[in-house]
Amino acid sequence: MRVRWLAVLTCLLGAFAFGVAACGSDDDDEGDGGSGATVSGDTLTIYSSLPLQGTSKGQSEAVISGERLALEQAGGKVGKYKINYVSLDDSTAQNPGTADEAQTAQNARKAVQDKTTIFYLGEFNSGGTKVSLPILNKANIPQISPSNTAVGLTTDEPGADTKAGEPDIYYPAQKRTYARVVPKDTIQGAALATIMKEDGCKSVHIFNDKTTYGAGLARNVEAAAKSIGLTVEGNDGTDKTSANYRSLAAQIKADCFVGSGVTGENYVQVFKDVAAACPDCKLYGPDGVAEAAFTDPKEGGIPADVAARTKVTVATLSPEEFEKQGIAKASQFFKDYEAKYGVKQPDPYAIYGYETMSLALDTLKAVGDKANDREAVRVQLLENTKGRDSVLGKYDIDEFGDTTLTDYGLYTIDNGQLTFDKVIKAQGS
Amino acid sequence: MLEFISKYGLIALLLALPVYYGIQDLSDDGNLTRLGDNLVDGLSNGAIWALVALGYTLVYGIIELINFAHGEIFMLGAFTSFAMWGALGLTESTGAGGLIVGLLVSLVVAMFVSASINVMIERVAYRPLRSAPKLAPLITAVGFSFILQNVGILWYGASQRAVPDLIESQRELFNIAGISISRGDVLAIAATIPLVLLLTAFIGGSRLGKAMRATAQDPEAARLMGINVDTTISLTFLLGGLLAGAAGLINTLYQTSVWFFQGFTAGLIAFTAAVMGGIGNLRGAVLGGFIIGCIQQISDNRIGNEWTPAVIFAYLVLIMTFRPQGLIGEETREAG
Amino acid sequence: MTALRGLRKARWAKYVLPVTAVVAAALLPFFRPPLDGFLDDCILALIFVAMALGLNLIVGFAGLLDLGYVAFYAFGATAVGWWASNHFGGFNGDGLHIGVSSFTESQPGIHVNFLLLLIGAILICALAGAIIGLPTLRLRGDYIAIVTLAFGEIVGRFMQNGDEVTVFNDYALSNGRESIAPVDQIDLPFLDQFDSALNLRPYYWTMLGIVLVVLFVNLRVRDSRLGRAWVALREDEVAAASMGVPLVKTKLTAYAVGGAIGGLAGCFYGAYLGSVNANQFQFGFSILILAMVILGGLGSIWGVVLGAIALTFVNYRLIPDVLDQGAVNDLKNDLGLSFTFSEVAFGIFGFVLVLMMVMRPQGLLPERRRQIELTEGTEESVFEARI
Repeated sequence: MRVRWLAVLTCLLGAFAFGVAACGSDDDDEGDGGSGATVSGDTLTIYSSLPLQGTSKGQSEAVISGERLALEQAGGKVGKYKINYVSLDDSTAQNPGTADEAQTAQNARKAVQDKTTIFYLGEFNSGGTKVSLPILNKANIPQISPSNTAVGLTTDEPGADTKAGEPDIYYPAQKRTYARVVPKDTIQGAALATIMKEDGCKSVHIFNDKTTYGAGLARNVEAAAKSIGLTVEGNDGTDKTSANYRSLAAQIKADCFVGSGVTGENYVQVFKDVAAACPDCKLYGPDGVAEAAFTDPKEGGIPADVAARTKVTVATLSPEEFEKQGIAKASQFFKDYEAKYGVKQPDPYAIYGYETMSLALDTLKAVGDKANDREAVRVQLLENTKGRDSVLGKYDIDEFGDTTLTDYGLYTIDNGQLTFDKVIKAQGS
Repeated sequence: MLEFISKYGLIALLLALPVYYGIQDLSDDGNLTRLGDNLVDGLSNGAIWALVALGYTLVYGIIELINFAHGEIFMLGAFTSFAMWGALGLTESTGAGGLIVGLLVSLVVAMFVSASINVMIERVAYRPLRSAPKLAPLITAVGFSFILQNVGILWYGASQRAVPDLIESQRELFNIAGISISRGDVLAIAATIPLVLLLTAFIGGSRLGKAMRATAQDPEAARLMGINVDTTISLTFLLGGLLAGAAGLINTLYQTSVWFFQGFTAGLIAFTAAVMGGIGNLRGAVLGGFIIGCIQQISDNRIGNEWTPAVIFAYLVLIMTFRPQGLIGEETREAG
Repeated sequence: MTALRGLRKARWAKYVLPVTAVVAAALLPFFRPPLDGFLDDCILALIFVAMALGLNLIVGFAGLLDLGYVAFYAFGATAVGWWASNHFGGFNGDGLHIGVSSFTESQPGIHVNFLLLLIGAILICALAGAIIGLPTLRLRGDYIAIVTLAFGEIVGRFMQNGDEVTVFNDYALSNGRESIAPVDQIDLPFLDQFDSALNLRPYYWTMLGIVLVVLFVNLRVRDSRLGRAWVALREDEVAAASMGVPLVKTKLTAYAVGGAIGGLAGCFYGAYLGSVNANQFQFGFSILILAMVILGGLGSIWGVVLGAIALTFVNYRLIPDVLDQGAVNDLKNDLGLSFTFSEVAFGIFGFVLVLMMVMRPQGLLPERRRQIELTEGTEESVFEARI
């Protein structure tokens, strides 16, 4: 018995060793997506990776609509290259509404394996980018996110976990490949603190959803609030499976409340319970709740009386505000968007989707015939995107991949819809 | 003696949290209002858990199956109620008379839908497996739990959905020594108690109830006595489903939201409640529901909402270790 | 099935099938591109095979229903998060590095070779298994299920809220739902560091190696004194005790060995995903593994392997990649149905579970001992068989 088993085991281990040994020899000729790769042929592929299941579906679809519009306006090509657009889903049925780690890694690998890949647009959630960025970075694939705000993805400014080596840990190839078109959380944190101060708040209580986005933003709000003289009474985590938050909300003693979370983490219930437990509190939400599922009672959002007390910050401005600032491209975008999709007030993320794709296409255009060279495209994106005249206004992409835009829009909720109120000029950022 | 220690030791264990925070409140604020508020919220939440827990305990008592799909039956009850409000046109502005009639109709429909689905699941997924290995029905239960969750997703989407606050659930109704009691609290408790009393009376007094108890004790002997075991088991699922449907409506009125995953969470909590009280024991399930409700709210308020499930399960482990038969359960073979 | 059964009768044939299967499995990557999505699914399948085999030791062999198996995945993955990432940045100045590649060496925090990680995960999980086992010693049947479920949930909660718990002066226990990411790529002695961004094959072969070790342990243990003690315990605890089987030791070893295997697989899973996110440590994971075990056939090693592979492919390939594309999708569109299959993935998975259990309640390849019980009706049952 024993002898036979040994024989079998030797056989198996032999096969195993053969396999491992063999793998050493052939990863040069096949899976090469390494730096300096040029794409052969006349087709370039742009991947988009967003959560298409669950609560973020609406926002993701707005991003995709924006991206498609930009691509269509460019005639589906840049110079001599035809652009192939592939939309991937980074969420799963088991883990809807956000980036699932396994699926996100699979998407990133799909892009790496595809030799025609020239851009990767995503993820929607900062937590997902933590997974896809290191993979894409090694293959030198330029990545642009339409919505990531986590500080540590690009810089070591306050809010980043520098002790754990952020942001360098995301760039194993030791060069930057990532850019984003929304301002990072430091700006939104400061914007929220600024508006609370303007509204006469003295103290603030924060709830966060414990995700990369929510907890990170909460830390930024906390820091910004303290720096401009607001008292932070507490910063509590919430559990999305909780049936209600009445007893948690009962401890709020502050006069203002920030719900730093996304709608899918049960933030409708959070806002309702806080509103009931603290009838005089002013309520503030970040861009994570800037969607119909939160604002519109018909879509399951907060009821009108709570909505009347709630203000939301989003990095987009209204069509009118864009016009006032003389950003002609923005007005044109809203017209084109309405013409194509029949939506007059698109989801705030539509314009970011549009800008993400435009930035990608303009970068390709700028390098001309070298648009099939990932390295050239990367350098163009991160070093030469200066004074870009875009639908969002004029901005640079700095060497870390961050946009230099800092304007935040303050929205109120009127009749179930986000209604632009004013521009916040953040203090202390 | 040992029995005495384990029973009262357990009660002391359960009281540790409220007593500790009660003393803290007295020294901090000089009154017990904060703890009182926690307990009121706990009892009303617990009333809903109790209704769901009864379904678990009934089914477990009779076929020794942890019916994982039961939470989803509760969820469907909630969804049906919400759908009925839409169909009947109930909104915040509906008058009192219309509201009462509308809610009664929704209650009947929700109970009917939940009960019939529960009976159907038993017929399709559990009955064919009576002679199969004991774990096989556990997996079909999980399978149905997934199927029904998916029905929920297709019905109202994957995210939590706020529903009209028909009864102004959180509006204060009256106030005892600073402890505010809201409409939702009164509704949850006032609707649960008669349902539980009715159920106990039915099982204790009626012929069918006797048949259920007999089947739970010894199915073979029950069969020999001329009891139709299959019908009796179906009846058990029917009763569990009715209660879950009612709990679904009460929950929707009380929490003012629905979510496809609410059943899964509620199921886990209610099951814990049933075990805490002594699984198979009706009074135990109700008691367990109230206790868990209170622990939850105290923990939400003092320890942190994100730790609450850990606190509940820690309690469960302690109880299982020191008194496996639960608060008022009898010694069973399993626990022995 | 009959052909298979016929093969099994011949003594030599007993080994032909497994060996052919393993050789085929080892050669498979050569027929696929190095970053293939199918290879990705195969790696997941192998991870789940190891997990299911570990749980099978506890549930199938020893008859202790464990509903909190996710705890071992959590501990295994946390070993990666702790000892193969920048999580303990600032520790020991520039960090602690043992047997890792040059890029990893430049990173702060604790970084150790994957082999050491595996050993660490095994030790933690064996210990955790024994601790979780302790309160269940007096209990039987479903009550064990409840306690293990509670432990699974408590462990998951601690990982989710670990960012609020401080350990070893000023480090968080975990990074909670913000995930510890990225974690190191696998480094094995004598080989270059793996790179999941360029080539999945080394990952595949490593996991295949782990599965073979786990299989070997399973097969050897099943026929050993310990394995027979587990089965005796499962069949009749009182009789086993009176025959001199040490109950405490036997039960705790079942938890410890099963847990260690779960930790092993969890450790690889964490490293493979490249991130340790407490979001994943949920009850549903325990249920998924248990479904694999029961579906394959409780206590049957080859059945469990089959069950794990089958459910992984239903979950990760059939639903997202097959049903939503090609002919099935066309058919669906022709019928005028507007949903996508990924929207009903949950339901399909549940439906598959129900269907398979109702048609084959004893599992795909039942353990022979159980099969005899079932067909000869030694199992006491008041209900007539309705299969």
